[in-house]
Amino acid sequence: MLADCLLIIFISICTALLGEGLTWLLVYRTEKYKKLKAEVEKQSKKLEKQKEVEASDRSQKKKIERQEERLKNNNRDLSMVKMKSMFAIGFAFTSLLSMFNSIFDGRVVAKLPFVPISFIQGISHRNLAGEDYTDCSFIFLYILCTMSIRQNIQKMLGLAPSRAASKQGGGFFSPPTQMTK
Amino acid sequence: MSNSVRKRNQEKSGDPPPPTFSETLSRAFTSEAKWTDKDEFLDVIYWMRQILGILLGLIWGLLPLKGIVGLALFFAVNIVITYIYFTSYQKVDEEEYGGVSEILKEGLMTSFSSFVVLWILLYSSLHAET
Repeated sequence: MLADCLLIIFISICTALLGEGLTWLLVYRTEKYKKLKAEVEKQSKKLEKQKEVEASDRSQKKKIERQEERLKNNNRDLSMVKMKSMFAIGFAFTSLLSMFNSIFDGRVVAKLPFVPISFIQGISHRNLAGEDYTDCSFIFLYILCTMSIRQNIQKMLGLAPSRAASKQGGGFFSPPTQMTK
Repeated sequence: MSNSVRKRNQEKSGDPPPPTFSETLSRAFTSEAKWTDKDEFLDVIYWMRQILGILLGLIWGLLPLKGIVGLALFFAVNIVITYIYFTSYQKVDEEEYGGVSEILKEGLMTSFSSFVVLWILLYSSLHAET
């Protein structure tokens, strides 16, 4: 079991590094992405500072709304730049994950020190025989490893978006705001 | 964005250069340190929580602690230690960071994932019947 757990952690580290490496190659190092990201970060910080000062008059409020709209548009453009590459990377990783899933199919890779809640059991006990819900499947441990390892790798390599940019939100799936009249 | 790119951009825009790792580490261990860069302080909270998550996972796995008690205790210990660190030790003004909840949520879920992985690893290898 220890060997299986360590192997899954190792697979998770490798796939996280591979994912970030591919994303760097196809997205992060392009001039368009770098320019848009710098623009989004600059606008987010400026907007945050402006929101801290309470806008008393209508023209100040309008200015903030216009800047928010510009930031949302830039965020959407940023998402578009990432999208094609992310689909390709996502497809590659889905295939990789299917392969690992079939290798570890039906295998109890670890014992959980707790019984997961019912809707998590569908993942934690996936394709495992028996009713012992402390048996852990590959996919559950892999997801947990990826959640921690990927985020930390992104932060360590400076690839995570800034807090100001994440807070202002936006992106491809956010609805466009209406311009004030 | 890597540190060298961020440094170049900041120098261009007239912002002060980002702190070095040793400066940040020194501030993290100094009581009531002066934090000019909010992101720097939140990064300290983030990484402190990751280390705490790993340590708690190792301890919970060795004891072992099991069940909902283990999970609840993790959140309690993690949140209390973080709270004590930024209110009593660093004495930061929470309003500058968007309130107590913003600081308390920083890195919590990533820390929880690391904790659960280590907990499962230790528990499976030391205490589980195969």
